[in-house]
Amino acid sequence: MEFGLTEEQQQIREEVRRFAENEIVPVAGEYDEEEKYPHDVVDKAAEMGLTGPYIPMEYGGAGYSILDTSIITEELFSYDPGIALSIVSTSFGCEAIMNFGTEDQKERYLEPIAKGEKISGAAISEPDTGSDVSSVSTRAEKDGDEWVINGNKMWITNGTVGDFFVVLCETNPDAEGRYNGFSQIVVESDRDGFSAEKITGKLGIRASDTAELVFDNVRVPEENLIGTRDAAFMQQMQFFDETRTAVAAQGVGIAKGATRAALEYAQDREQFGQSISEFQAIQHKLAEMATDTEAARNLTYKSAWKVDQGEDITKLASMAKEYASRVAVDVADEAVQIHGGAGYVDDFPVERFYRDAKITQIYEGTSEIQKNVIAREMLGKGF
Amino acid sequence: MKILVTVKEVATVEDEFEIEGTEIADQYLGADLNEWDDYAVEEAVQLQEAGIADEVVTVTIGPEDCEQTIRQALAKGADRAIRVWDDALEGVDLLDVEAKTEILRGVVEEEDPDLVLSGVQSGDDSWGATGVSLAEDLGFEWAAVVNHLEHDLEDGIASVRRELEGGVEELTDVELPAVLTIQTGINEPRYASLRGIRQAQRKELDVQSLADVGVDEGVVDSDLELTDMYEPESESDVTVWEGSAEETAGELGDLLRDKGVAP
Repeated sequence: MEFGLTEEQQQIREEVRRFAENEIVPVAGEYDEEEKYPHDVVDKAAEMGLTGPYIPMEYGGAGYSILDTSIITEELFSYDPGIALSIVSTSFGCEAIMNFGTEDQKERYLEPIAKGEKISGAAISEPDTGSDVSSVSTRAEKDGDEWVINGNKMWITNGTVGDFFVVLCETNPDAEGRYNGFSQIVVESDRDGFSAEKITGKLGIRASDTAELVFDNVRVPEENLIGTRDAAFMQQMQFFDETRTAVAAQGVGIAKGATRAALEYAQDREQFGQSISEFQAIQHKLAEMATDTEAARNLTYKSAWKVDQGEDITKLASMAKEYASRVAVDVADEAVQIHGGAGYVDDFPVERFYRDAKITQIYEGTSEIQKNVIAREMLGKGF
Repeated sequence: MKILVTVKEVATVEDEFEIEGTEIADQYLGADLNEWDDYAVEEAVQLQEAGIADEVVTVTIGPEDCEQTIRQALAKGADRAIRVWDDALEGVDLLDVEAKTEILRGVVEEEDPDLVLSGVQSGDDSWGATGVSLAEDLGFEWAAVVNHLEHDLEDGIASVRRELEGGVEELTDVELPAVLTIQTGINEPRYASLRGIRQAQRKELDVQSLADVGVDEGVVDSDLELTDMYEPESESDVTVWEGSAEETAGELGDLLRDKGVAP
């Protein structure tokens, strides 16, 4: 059993920390307040290769493992979740292309993402389709050698800034079984009939772009189909282990960042003639925050490591996602409490962490869905 | 053209610290690549990217622990690294400029570079002397505190701009082979890219002993001894104005006039 990070992994963490301290921290408040996509920061991150670190070397990426990627995600999220999500989400949807795409598709789509020239997105949720993914109603119909797509997608990360989206469409309504008959099709944002409207007023991760997408008779060539026709649900399912582990890493990062901020504040703030970190009530809070974060980290790293070993870890990934997101929310809550009134205004980053943390319990499967998955696996019920 | 960059892992200190004897207590110390060396590495890598340099080699004097720091330079684009260490260097409190000069001279003679870049100084010891001392010892031309280097180096001439005291700068030409000590701000050091970090793990990091670089163990003997470590008393005050530029510019103007800096 080996719990240590390699020298290379420590180096990655150090360099990402340097980047975040210099490039993210000074501007985090501004992008949050203005609900503005951080193009400048994302461009700099791309130069460093933070966009699509897991994309293989031959397509311009760094070929990093899920564990390596989790370390990067954790570190970025510990400084600012909104900008961090903007950076790590530039390759959303690309995991499908990487695993099921043709050589031509990989060259066409992965390279520009790794180089930071393009931004991608995954379009799954719809106005009436959240946790029940099998109710997707965006329709793709074959017309000659083209797909014609109609429908709406909701809550799509990078919706107004993305260059292409991997869209989950219904391609065979007559298919038997509720999980059959869906396909993943790449839709470029410059296609006629494609439009995106930015969703504003989010509680947190406000630097990250979220939008509703509308497909009105959008035509794409048949070679934009990723993998096997009608088998998208099975394809998508395979990435749940990865994507849920990634959100778990986000939660660990948020908890780490909130703890760091609270520890610093507790040592600076003086009351009753001493630093408040001298009070046992504060010390116990800090101790619990650090312990919960470490437990979430270990669960997350184990989950990431198992994905890298090629193991099927449905239950473990859901455990990591559910637990780490809960820790993120709890720790951010305590961090604000330690700050007292100062934590209730935007003078300190904990106010942002508190708002940002909540999304980790909602996206990539709510906490309730994760618990359903865990129990289902325990009870051997299949899906 | 071959460029040799001298790099060093330096001790970094937290804002609040305690001194124990002639050392800062361990718990307040960290380690990082010397800031000035980061600029020197960047300058060398830019010369390589411009097609002027063919090879960038780094050299450090340090124990195995510093390899992770030294790999930062490889991740940013240096081709290979040399680390000089020896049992004779273990436990040496103070490796003085003379010793560093002798060791580095051994490496320069072996590598035969056209240009040696070093940081102006190290962030911890701050001798600010090694680069120039090395040049003198080798009989190389040198320029200290360089804050601009023309990227042509035609006819074996390096055109540099260097900082003198009191805000004065000098433009001068230096004949190669030469040693330039690089000032911060000469460029904008890059972040090591993830691909760079990955590739750096496979780059050559050659460990050499004193004997390998042709230096006698007696090199560690020094006439210098560290006798005391203390925090200097601050001799001047700083004035900080809170507020926007519109609100505070006038106050700064008044102060500068009072002090006789501005007419």
